[in-house]
Amino acid sequence: MAIRSFFLFILFFSSSLSPVFSLYEDQVGLMDWHQQYIGKVKQAVFSSQRAGRKRVVVSTEENVIASLDLRHGEIFWRHLLGADDVIDGIDIGLGKYVITLSSGGSILRSWNLPDGQMVWESSLQGPKHSKSFLLVPTNLKFDKDNVLVVFSNGRLHAISCIDGEVLWKKDFEAESFEVQQVILPPGSDLIHVVGFAALSQFEMYQINAKNGELLKHESASFSSGFSGQVSLVSTETVVALDSTGSILLTISFQDGKISSQQTPISNLVEDSLGPAVIIPSSVSGIFAIKTDAVTIFIRVIGKGNLEVVEKTTHEIAVSDALSISEDQQAFALIQHASSEIHLTVKLAHDWDGNLLKESVKMDRQRGLVHKVFINNYIRTDRSYGFRVLIVMEDHSLLLLQQGEIVWSREDGLASIIDVTTSELPVERDGVSVAKVEHNLFEWLKGHMLKLKGTLMLASPEDMAAIQSMRLKSSEKSKMTRDHNGFRKLLIVLTRAGKLFALHTGDGRIVWSYLLRSLHKSEACQSPIGLNLYQWQVPHHHAMDENPSVLVVSRCGPSSDTSGVLSFVDTYTGKELSSLSLDHAVVQVIPLPYTDSTEQRLHLLIDADKHAHLYPKTSGALSIFKREFSNIYWYSVEDQNGIIKGHALKCKCTGEVADEFCFDTRDLWSVVFPSESEKTIATVTRKLNEVVHTQAKVVADQDVMYKYISRNLLFVATVAPKGSGEIGSVTPEESWLVAYLIDTVTGRILHRVTHHGSQGPVHAVFSENWVVYHYFNLRAHRYEMSVIEIYDQSRADNKDVWKLVLGKHNLTSPISLFSRPEVITKSQSYFFTHSLKAIAVTSTAKGITSKQLLLGTIGDQVLALDKRFLDPRRTVNPTQLEKEEGIIPLTESLPIIPQSYVTHALRVEGLRGIITVPAKLESTTLVFAHGVDLFFTQLAPSRTYDSLTEDFSYALLLITIVALVAAIFVTWRLSERKELQEKWR
Amino acid sequence: MAFSCKNSSKFNGFSSCIKMVMVGTSAIMMQQRTLAMEASLCVKKSKKKGADSVTRPNSQISAAMAAVTPLLLLLLLSSAPSFSSGSRNAYNINGRVKIPQGLGLGTKGYALPGRMSNVKVLLNGGQNITFLRPDGYFSFHNIPAGTHLIEVSAIGYFFSPVRVDVSARNPGKVQAALTENRKGLSELVLEPLREEQYYEIREPFSIMSLLKSPMGLMVGFMLAVAFLMPKLVENMDPEEMRRAQEEMRSQGVPSLSSLLPGGARN
Repeated sequence: MAIRSFFLFILFFSSSLSPVFSLYEDQVGLMDWHQQYIGKVKQAVFSSQRAGRKRVVVSTEENVIASLDLRHGEIFWRHLLGADDVIDGIDIGLGKYVITLSSGGSILRSWNLPDGQMVWESSLQGPKHSKSFLLVPTNLKFDKDNVLVVFSNGRLHAISCIDGEVLWKKDFEAESFEVQQVILPPGSDLIHVVGFAALSQFEMYQINAKNGELLKHESASFSSGFSGQVSLVSTETVVALDSTGSILLTISFQDGKISSQQTPISNLVEDSLGPAVIIPSSVSGIFAIKTDAVTIFIRVIGKGNLEVVEKTTHEIAVSDALSISEDQQAFALIQHASSEIHLTVKLAHDWDGNLLKESVKMDRQRGLVHKVFINNYIRTDRSYGFRVLIVMEDHSLLLLQQGEIVWSREDGLASIIDVTTSELPVERDGVSVAKVEHNLFEWLKGHMLKLKGTLMLASPEDMAAIQSMRLKSSEKSKMTRDHNGFRKLLIVLTRAGKLFALHTGDGRIVWSYLLRSLHKSEACQSPIGLNLYQWQVPHHHAMDENPSVLVVSRCGPSSDTSGVLSFVDTYTGKELSSLSLDHAVVQVIPLPYTDSTEQRLHLLIDADKHAHLYPKTSGALSIFKREFSNIYWYSVEDQNGIIKGHALKCKCTGEVADEFCFDTRDLWSVVFPSESEKTIATVTRKLNEVVHTQAKVVADQDVMYKYISRNLLFVATVAPKGSGEIGSVTPEESWLVAYLIDTVTGRILHRVTHHGSQGPVHAVFSENWVVYHYFNLRAHRYEMSVIEIYDQSRADNKDVWKLVLGKHNLTSPISLFSRPEVITKSQSYFFTHSLKAIAVTSTAKGITSKQLLLGTIGDQVLALDKRFLDPRRTVNPTQLEKEEGIIPLTESLPIIPQSYVTHALRVEGLRGIITVPAKLESTTLVFAHGVDLFFTQLAPSRTYDSLTEDFSYALLLITIVALVAAIFVTWRLSERKELQEKWR
Repeated sequence: MAFSCKNSSKFNGFSSCIKMVMVGTSAIMMQQRTLAMEASLCVKKSKKKGADSVTRPNSQISAAMAAVTPLLLLLLLSSAPSFSSGSRNAYNINGRVKIPQGLGLGTKGYALPGRMSNVKVLLNGGQNITFLRPDGYFSFHNIPAGTHLIEVSAIGYFFSPVRVDVSARNPGKVQAALTENRKGLSELVLEPLREEQYYEIREPFSIMSLLKSPMGLMVGFMLAVAFLMPKLVENMDPEEMRRAQEEMRSQGVPSLSSLLPGGARN
């Protein structure tokens, strides 16, 4: 019987075919939101155009080049360069072109400032790798052409600003020459290139800017050597530090003659400070050095006389110089003082006088100021006003003007590391008040508009009014839990070490918290956040607790540095506690057990293969002891091509008597031959995935049992030669092998080789199937394959009578140690696009059919029904199979534009797609993140359990009214008829 | 590393003077010397219409150049679509993206803002990314010989990925083919295969759609029962009618008790 109902169920779902996700244009923004970011700003250039809207052009660590509105901080245009195309420098040429130098100085591009259209692109090559510099002189002309000067890859180029043509170039081929500065003295036709050679040689080249001719080459030798960067204090003087970091070298090269002066730092400052580094600045006459605790500003007077002007232990940030008139340069300084920051603008030659001094209240959660960019404007009274753009520790960007924050951008959200979700508080009395419509007239007007909309009589203005009304009236942004489970908090961890809670309704930031444990400290030099886990998800008996998340971080880039755990309350955004661990964190295994306060048990594996149990409570320990022998995990060693299975052995033996520490043992290992296979992808099922049914009814009323195990691992390996980029190997020497491995026993359940294929492999594992995407070199197209795995040992349970009489083995316990009889079915299809990410929809009960979410190379997310990746597809399905919903086999997978989840938007720099089930079975929440964020709701089988957003209540009302009217009319009619009958 | 051939003119449609600056340093001579060569060639062109007219003058140039510098394995390219040039281990791929104007979206009243500036060209699944110049040309620099894949990402258009073979044996020989339909390209001019409409189009209001909706069907059924049933009753045999009425009278008003089992007996 159950099987029958299943069959009907499947039929029911399969009846709704084809564009499952589809959206009308006026529904944009109802269920979805999209946020655009740029990332942490590296460099900012203000557009000095007098007319038009004020802009600032920025380059960021996410390789974004963007033009922002200086008034509001909105993005005018934005381009995301390739991952390897790191931006080295930006500038504005001729007031209308944005020039960018990227890829280690080898690509120079020019963009149109108003609209962001690329104007030209030049490839700059050179003999060797070097620092790169981009200079845009204002007055250097060459045949009426404005000239850009670029030093990159050991070669100096002069490039036309109009079309990117290289006018001349000059190589600096000396083997050891390392360029430090390229200087263009204003008003002259000379270029100075200064640098070090052979560690202790200072070299200066003077070059004619008109033709690249070498005019002069001077060098001087310094026995003490150099360290770090140099700071340019005037067009003819640089300051460097010797190799010990304790002596300042002032080197001037006036008229091509090199002269120098040495000043030990101890002469300037009494107390010894330890080795210092120079902070590069472009302010003439002033430079800064920084030691561990102190920042010292030093002025250069005359020829090499140094004088300390300020010494501060505060965190300080200095801007580049801004020339405000012929001979005056201004710069901005920002100092921290508890909850405020002090901004001072000074003239370069006058340290003691301040042009501007302001204090701005700053949110503690933004951390320190990392970068300052200054710009000036002329006030109505013809005096100078200054505005500064500051980049904070949490990667946010703020504009300060007249002591106020004019706008701020949360660009930390452009670099999300991990995402998890949290429920909102339950609605209680007083928590929120339902909004009542203002008055009857408003209400009537709204409904009239809606009616007009449904009858297609609305004008564009009316449509806009309807749209805004819909957005406003919906309760999607309330701060309480809703019945359908659409409203949740997305907790995201960013690279800056900040946690954000975003509301799924409208994407606003509910709270943010800069993790204190991710602050740089003595014990923890360069902390990095790793992962987020749900620590406490209260339901049932711990309802009064607030849910919390666990942030796992590590004190350095290598995996053997000690770990840090922090626990953050997701309602308030406050850190509950943090733990500095004395062991490393290599792997975190959330266990499917919770203690009495609903805290989830986590097992942390350290570098010495000890397992540590958290939380460290006796309750957790007793639960853990009960399941001691049932805990298995695996580890993947990419370099050696080994996959190992582990289990717990006993309490830690040795120095520390910690009852929460356990020794582990290796159970099995799978070693891939290193000369022929290299692991490139491993995927398992999501831990929290729910599978509704084990059985699958096929067309001829047969039943197949899915092999559902949480311990299946998909591994893809490629030939070592083929692990590079596409086009680097021939099809003959490349292959891809896909494995399905049981992670408890190490048994390889399935192995398939795709000859002539290579990575990158993107895979997703769900229920009893895995879908993976790879490149087929023979066809030179991308391919997607599906493997479904079925349990044969239950195949004889088909008999309904056996099920009825209970003589089946469905309830018998399954042990992975008994040899499973499995069969696999697989099929491959072509797919057009490269992929960046792949995910699958997940729903609360797992009843709804699945959709694959494919993050394409164009930064869009495409929803593809799983039925297109069904290994039982044939070219000519029988009538029965058609009824079951099997689609005729085609060579490639279809791309239906209406099933782009992101519709006409791009999630620029897409990195990951996360799906979260809503309470409503039909609906799943999708969050895609990259540089941009995108959120939407999906109903893979349409919303069969609720009315859709565009359900016409008006029509329902009209129908009811019509029916009631009809009842009255017919009643009257029948009454009259009866009367006539009686008279007869 | 590579010969980069830059074209100064933007093909304004007038007789253009193509000036080429070629710099070639092969991997071997890289350290010792730089070979710079400049050549100026003026090609009279009446009016540039498509890419075809550009390739012809270019092949003439390349023939001339090859005669001058036979030792340098060079091939000319510049802004003419297709074909790569380069030294022994690095080549340039140049091409053009053409989006026909007035196609679909444009005619429908709203054009995507800055449509050309938001087009990206991606090599080998994002290994290199480049953008289009205002005239639709793009180029990838320093690409090793081999078979590559070029994809175009443009919102609103569907582009087929293109397989591009850069040959090391005879440099500059580029073969391109659309992977979707295996159509070969004589030059690297990429055009969208079709447009992509991301939104469903709302059906205009019609009586039929109203009737087809569940509510419409309900009303329809009601009306049918209300008006057609009496008609059916009228058409019934009067004898039968009377009998039925008789029966009904004998049973009296149907009450709940009569519906209950056994209730009919009283």
